Amino acid sequence: MSKQQLGEFLAHSVELESEARERYLELSEAMAEHNNSEVAEFFGRMADESRLHLEEVAEIAEQHDLPDLKAWEFNWPEEESPEAASYEAVHYRMTLRQAMLLALDNERAAERFYRSFAETSSDSETRRLASRFSAEEASHAAHLVKWLGKLPADPEHSLEEDDAPHMPE
Amino acid sequence: MKQSVKVRAKDYKSEVKPIWCPGCGHFSVLNAITKAFAGLGIAKDDTVLVSGIGCSSRLPAYVDSYGFHGVHGRGLAIAQGLKVARPDLTVIALGGDGDGFSIGGNHFLHACRRNVNMTYIAMDNEVYGMTKGQASPTTPADWDHSKLTPHGPGVRPFKPAALALAAGAPWIARGYSGNPNQMAGLIAAAIEHPGFSFLHVLSQCITFCPEQTDWKSIVSERSEPALSDADVAASLFHHEDGFQTGLLYAAPRNSWPGPQAQVQSADISEGFRL
Amino acid sequence: MTQQQLSIAITGAGGAGVISVGELLLQTWAAGGGRGLLRKAFGPQIRGGESAALLKLTDTEHYTPADRYDLFLAFDWTNFNRFGDEITLCPGALVICGEEGELPPPVRAVDPDVHYLPLADLAVDTHEEGRVNMIALGLLGRLLGLASADLQSLARNKLAAKPQAYQDAAAACIEAGSQLSLPCQLAAPPLGEPGAWYLSGNQAAGLGALEAGVRFVAAYPITPASDVLEWMAGGLEKLGGQLVQAEDELAAINMTLGAAFGGVPSFTATSGPGLALMTESIGLAVASETPVTILDVMRGGPSTGIPTKSEQSDLNIALNGLHGDAPHLVLAPLDIADCVYTSAWAVHLAQGLQTAAIVLSDQFIGQSTAVVTEPVRCPRPEFPAQDSGNDYLRYRLTESGVSTLAAPGDADQRFTADGLEHNERGTPSARDDDHQKQLAKRAGKLNNHPFGDAWARIDGTGELALLCFGSAWAAVTEAATILADAGLSTRTVALRLVAPLQHERLAAALAGCRRVVVVEQNHGAQLFHYLRGQMEFAVPVASYSRAGPVPLNGRAIADYMTAEGR
Repeated sequence: MSKQQLGEFLAHSVELESEARERYLELSEAMAEHNNSEVAEFFGRMADESRLHLEEVAEIAEQHDLPDLKAWEFNWPEEESPEAASYEAVHYRMTLRQAMLLALDNERAAERFYRSFAETSSDSETRRLASRFSAEEASHAAHLVKWLGKLPADPEHSLEEDDAPHMPE
Repeated sequence: MKQSVKVRAKDYKSEVKPIWCPGCGHFSVLNAITKAFAGLGIAKDDTVLVSGIGCSSRLPAYVDSYGFHGVHGRGLAIAQGLKVARPDLTVIALGGDGDGFSIGGNHFLHACRRNVNMTYIAMDNEVYGMTKGQASPTTPADWDHSKLTPHGPGVRPFKPAALALAAGAPWIARGYSGNPNQMAGLIAAAIEHPGFSFLHVLSQCITFCPEQTDWKSIVSERSEPALSDADVAASLFHHEDGFQTGLLYAAPRNSWPGPQAQVQSADISEGFRL
Repeated sequence: MTQQQLSIAITGAGGAGVISVGELLLQTWAAGGGRGLLRKAFGPQIRGGESAALLKLTDTEHYTPADRYDLFLAFDWTNFNRFGDEITLCPGALVICGEEGELPPPVRAVDPDVHYLPLADLAVDTHEEGRVNMIALGLLGRLLGLASADLQSLARNKLAAKPQAYQDAAAACIEAGSQLSLPCQLAAPPLGEPGAWYLSGNQAAGLGALEAGVRFVAAYPITPASDVLEWMAGGLEKLGGQLVQAEDELAAINMTLGAAFGGVPSFTATSGPGLALMTESIGLAVASETPVTILDVMRGGPSTGIPTKSEQSDLNIALNGLHGDAPHLVLAPLDIADCVYTSAWAVHLAQGLQTAAIVLSDQFIGQSTAVVTEPVRCPRPEFPAQDSGNDYLRYRLTESGVSTLAAPGDADQRFTADGLEHNERGTPSARDDDHQKQLAKRAGKLNNHPFGDAWARIDGTGELALLCFGSAWAAVTEAATILADAGLSTRTVALRLVAPLQHERLAAALAGCRRVVVVEQNHGAQLFHYLRGQMEFAVPVASYSRAGPVPLNGRAIADYMTAEGR
């Protein structure tokens, strides 16, 4: 992706926030389905926050012509958009702390993504918006760090359980 | 076009919520399918997902299209009958490694050979999940996590891409649940390929094979263009580690013929009259 | 009145062409208005070996296999034993043989009127390409009063793809055969109306299915069902339908399900071993309410059994082979012509009631060819109209039990068909409430349907009732005629719809009987036990069940009835 073009940057920003929100929603629903209500609620809250951020980005995006990119045409630093929670990091017994650490990783990845535009784009409007989005992600991260500090430590073997898995079919 | 109003992948999801374990690779396949549909602007009413039985075979209910959740191993047969009878539809069969390569293995071979214009997505996590984690045809020989095969299955794993090629599949690709965007592109290309397209997806099982989270560091993306020479592809599929992703082989050939022109006046009983 | 008939058995070895003799003789006989049946019997070899054309010329269209033969034409005596069980001769039967030598003991035992004719020499003397079977055809034609020219013309049609010299030889041999004279007379039955049809039960079943709208067939070869599928391949091509040769029966039934899900009436045909493989997916058709029709051309079982011989021994698996509570339709055509009707009815019912229909034909009616008046057609039955309302629910609980079946492409009625138990929307559910209601829905739609008068064929009003299903009807009818001639008034009830059993109608059909005998061609009295499990009989019920390969025989049934004062 060219870091010179505002439209392309905004297209990525909208996708990043949409992906973040949809992944959090999916995780929230999956956790609810598996009776991990604490984490389900947390991911639900993260989805809400992502929605607010998405609306903000989308409002700006509406002022501009955006390229119509398909899912496989985006150019992300890694396989997935930065704020989409990684599937490898999820477990149905995960604790709130683990969920928050995962969210923190996501916020920081998003912050890095926006910062790279803020620092290197030749387009001034892109730099300005990227800088703003980056700061917002950083503030989310800081908030999570503060929150994490208040949480008790997890037992070392929190993912272990007594019963064997079920046989649904 | 304004980015904010376009059809999104989530619009292709149904109201039924997946029962898969959080962290299951199949969520990623579901996302890749809906992303591919959004990318192609697929018509929901003209699309059918067909599956057999297993964790992955639950997928059709989660997509807002028509669907058929059949019996174990037979999804490909249902899908081929459907597509032959209704060539106007977009038909995608999907299922797991046990469903597709063990109980349904014969259908896999003949679907590759028959070359009906449809897509088959095999979601391979190297394990039977719905029945509590037994070894499947793609499980490593020394995988000893199942009580059924406490010393490992002890037999060579099945090589889906090599078999597909040998059986005549004209389009073979591999995706990975850790990269749903690449997978979405492959699914879109598979749908657009005019013939049978086989997408082998490495889709991790967080519950029975937690070691598969390491796949992230093993999987590679093939940068070379797809092979079109079957001999070269055979050598690749024989020697590769099974973890390179992308479109691996594409050699289009004539697909199964559609219906002939309808002749309603034909008197089929003619030959019986003396 | 007992049927007037003339039965002719023709046997030969090593590609002698006895089947062609049977076909040409019957077709020429039928062209003049004659009625008749041709059965074919073979040894286990693909080519060569032994074959028998078993003809029965009659004055009515009640076709049972002949129990005794009036004329036996044997090209040679090699491996006569292969057919010894099936070819019983009348006392003093006319025997024409092409080979001198000692007669097999069962032939000698009837004190036959034996004529030796050097058929092979005659053929060679007539034409350098001459064949023994055409000499025989000319001779048999003469004995039946058929014109040699008619036989020759039909033979030329049949052999149109063969070299000219071969065709010429056939014509010459027929002519030569027709010049032979034998000091004997045959009493052929009177002719009927010309303009009849000539077809096998397998062709008839395929015709019925296509006429009822079937446009997709998935096929896996199996004896004795392959020729249904072969005939349908041609028919579907004419109609713009599709036939796929599947990799196995598992694929065949599932392809059928897939096409049916696409809204295209779909059909497959198989025999016992194939039906066994299909049962899991027939259960899927029931659970997912996907309409499919499966024709089972029954043969001797279990396992590979006796693939070339008839038996009615798949009734149990057809009724009870599905796991879980899986109500479905089981039908059985009563004779060759009825294969058209019953096959079409099954397709209509499967489509209308959105379930699986299994049609139990068998090798006898499937592979025998008969001359019949144009078969009666099955009208499309009425089914309750469905109103899906604004919110489409695939498995909506309705009064009739039938809910609206959408097909892909229909706007805004998207659903996932499921073999998992489900709620009205189709979402998988393990809840008691959903299970109970959907079970009741699937059973109710069958039980609520008014199947009409076609459920059975009922003849006579006697106090003795012979109760059967499917192709046993012909033998049962023959038995009833023999018993009536002996002064024992008998009624016959032949089930065309075996499941769901029409309890009240059956009870009414048997009202006034003093005794019921259930007649079937299997070892385990499968129909007898089914009926006894399904309903209470007010009068004593006995079983007459005889396994194949020897066909059910009306005379034997009648003898059984009279022997013990039944």
